[in-house]
Parts: sequence; structure tokens; C-alpha cells
Amino acid sequence: MIRFEHVNKTYPDGTVAVADFSLEVPSHQVAVLLGSSGCGKTTLMRMVNRMVEPTSGDVWIDDDRVSDLDPVKLRRRIGYVMQSGGLLPHRSTIDNVATVPLLGGSTRRAAHARARELLELVGLPESVARRYPSQLSGGQRQRVGVARALAADPNILLMDEPFGAVDPVVRNELQAWLLQIQDELAKTILFVTHDVDEAFLLGQEVLVLRTGAEVAQQGTPAEILLEPADDFVHHFIGGSRRHLHTEVRDGRRLVVDADGRVAGVATDPTGPA
Amino acid sequence: MNQVIAALQWLADGANWSGPGGLLARTWEHLWYTALALVVGAVVAVPLGMYIGHTGKGRTFAVGVSGAVRALPSLGLLTLLAVSMGLGLGWAVVPSTIVLALLAVPSLLAATYSGFDQVPDDVVDGARATGFSELQIVGRVELPLALPLMVGGLRAAALQVLATATISAYLGLGGLGRFILDGLSVSDYPRMLGGAIAVGGLALAVDGLILVVQRLVVPRGVHVAVGPTDA
Repeated sequence: MIRFEHVNKTYPDGTVAVADFSLEVPSHQVAVLLGSSGCGKTTLMRMVNRMVEPTSGDVWIDDDRVSDLDPVKLRRRIGYVMQSGGLLPHRSTIDNVATVPLLGGSTRRAAHARARELLELVGLPESVARRYPSQLSGGQRQRVGVARALAADPNILLMDEPFGAVDPVVRNELQAWLLQIQDELAKTILFVTHDVDEAFLLGQEVLVLRTGAEVAQQGTPAEILLEPADDFVHHFIGGSRRHLHTEVRDGRRLVVDADGRVAGVATDPTGPA
Repeated sequence: MNQVIAALQWLADGANWSGPGGLLARTWEHLWYTALALVVGAVVAVPLGMYIGHTGKGRTFAVGVSGAVRALPSLGLLTLLAVSMGLGLGWAVVPSTIVLALLAVPSLLAATYSGFDQVPDDVVDGARATGFSELQIVGRVELPLALPLMVGGLRAAALQVLATATISAYLGLGGLGRFILDGLSVSDYPRMLGGAIAVGGLALAVDGLILVVQRLVVPRGVHVAVGPTDA
């Protein structure tokens, strides 16, 4: 469980990054912070592992107030995946994955055994273990990033636009893969993205954020799609592109948006064809 | 041209190599002064450079001080220190080492902080978010990645110190500078030139040696060929 209680962040120059933000992410759920760059979503996420300290308010993980915990120990029990991967360029894949267990005092042998398990879990071949980050593809690097985040078996995963830097095909693949391993692992995940489709695909709960991390709307993807809270949310999630209807063209029933652009094929067997 | 040939002949004469005042002994002395100055310089410059590079604080200060130190005339400073410290000729190695160490500081300092500085921010950020303490970030992330540049700084510093260490002879110390100073005082130009050539040769040898070290400390993974960037 992750809980934000009336969290504020004001920088010394007076910029308000976060104003009175509260949220509870129940255990084993995926919550997505969705917003444009600079809206404060990453700032919020980094408060969970104390990479950013709130000016006021509290963040809790399970029964601990994070400000009561030692930041270094706290970070070792929270998985963190970042857009660039953030892997150590001078360490091989397996050493990167073994990092946290090693820092936690594991023996090298145990840490490597654990790292090997994780590389298998994230679907990387054995041959990748001895390679260096510069020798991996973008998609492979992100998988290694996830493996490293999982190494200490944390309850909580923080994912900061983890698939933002890979091409769309690989991104789709990684998203599907994440859903699949989440079925197995059931971590509490806080996921940050500016990609609406990604947010709706991965999030059980989605928060659409305005500047200053102000919550424009919070709900399930279906709730947000059906009842956008206001014009901002309506436009942010795609506006009239999301208003679909079916039309018969050349004997096939198509799904078409408000501007008449084809969005897909209707496969529903009932109804008029 | 005759002088050069005479100098080479002087160098080729085995008699000039042996004994307590011979080329071999003087070379060791010279290397000893150089090493001592580099160690003293590094003790000052490396921790300071690491601090500046890790925190990003004090950069302007470091640039200013480095510039000022570089501008100091070594021989003048040596004389000033030798006279004002009043340690006597028995302790001449103290002012001489201070002067040479000061010469090493700017290169070592600049190389250390730029080495730390060029470590990508996201690598440091990732390490911190993963649970590295600040000391572990410095020791296990920044230092290994900065080492090639730092050794580059050592190379520059070593050359400068080694070339300038000839002035130690001015205070009655040994080293290859002896041949130059003594040769000058008795107008023995082949000896003087021979000493200068020996300094040059030694500088080239030390430079080559540190170059090898510099290649060796490049961490694996940093210089390997970059593979395909898309999955």
C-alpha cells in the first residue's frame, strides 16, 4: 500500500510542483499517474522513495511513514525503473541485476543466482548475463531495469515512464509483458506516463493530472472514458477521437470516430450488419 | 651539431652511468622527487576534485585556484620557500616537493572533477534510487567511471613535475638537474645537454608507462562496441 496524505512541494524559488495531493494505492494494484511533462507526476513518484522530500504532508508505505525511514534502506526495499534504464555502464547485466542484493549484504554467489532467476523471469536469454548495457538493445535494457528493480523482492515498484524511450513495437511488447508478470507477482505499482493508451492499458486506477499535480480526475479507465470530469480530461484523453460509432462500409461493420476515421473492425456477432 | 654529438658521446660513456653521482643514481633520485610530489599533490587534489565533482559545488573556486597556481613561477617560489622556511639545505627536499606538488595540483584537480562530472546524471540518479549510499556512489560508480580521465590528469601532472624537478638541483639536491646545473657552472656543455636529453627520455618513458595504465583502467563495458539500439 502506498498513501499520500496532503502532500505539498514548493521549490525555494516559489514554484509549486505539488499542491495538497492525497492518494491511496491499495496493495497489489497498479495506479497510473497520467499527465503532460512538468505536471509534477515524477516529483510525486519520487517522494515515495525519498528522492524528493515533500515540503509538507506525509507519504506512507504499508505502516511506515517514509520520512521516519533511512532513505538508503528505504530505496533498497522499493523497486525503481526509470526511462533511461539508469544501469551502471561499467557492470555486466548480471552484476547490474545483482546490485541491490549485494548492497544488502548478500554473498556474490547468492546474488548472482537470484539475478539469473530474474533474467529468466524478465525473458532474457542466458547469453545476455555477461554483456554490458551498451551492448544491449533498448528493449533489453528496460527488461534488465525491471529485473534490477525486482531483485530485492520489493512489495512496491515505482516505474517512471519505463517504456518511453523504446519504439512503439517494443513498447507494446513490454506493456503486454508487464501485465503478464504482474499477474504472477502482484506488486503494488505506481506507474508514471504521459501516454494515454499506456495508462488505460496498465492502470486499474488512473489519475489524470494537471500542472501542480492537481488531480483532474481519478478513476478506472472505463470511468474516465465514459465520464470525463471536464474539458481538460476530455481533450487530454483524445477528445472526440474516443467517441466511436459503428458504420457499415462495403458490407463490413467498422468502428469509426467522430471525424469519420476508421478506428477498427467490429467483431460483435449480434446487432445489425 | 658538435655539441649534440658530444652530448650523445657523454651519454654513451658507461663511466657516466655508474656511481653515486652517475646517471642511474640520478635518474632514481629524479623519479623519487617526482613520485613524492605527485603523491603529495594527489593527496590534496584528488579528494578535493572528488568533492567538487560529486557535489557540483566549488567549481569556480577550483578553476580560479588552478589558474593562479599555474601562474606561479616555480624557480622563484622555490627560492622564496627555501629562504623563508629556513630549514637549511638538509631539508631542501621539503620546499622542492611543495613547489613540484603545486605544479601537479591543477592537472589532477581538473581531471578529477571533470571525470566525476562526465558521469551521466541518470546513472548517478539510478544508483541513488536503487539504494547506493553517497559514499557507495562515489566509490563504486563515479570513481571507476572517472578513473581513465583521472589517470590522464596524472599523466599531464607527471610530465610537468618530471620536467621541472630539474630545479631541485638548485637547492643542492640530486636528480638529473645536477648534470645541467653542474655542467653549466664548469661550462661542460656536453654534460649539460646530456642531462637534458636524459630528462627528455625519462619523460617519454614515464608518459608511455602511464598511457598503458590509462588504457588498463578503462572499465569494461564502457569502451566495448555498441550493439544494436533497438530490440
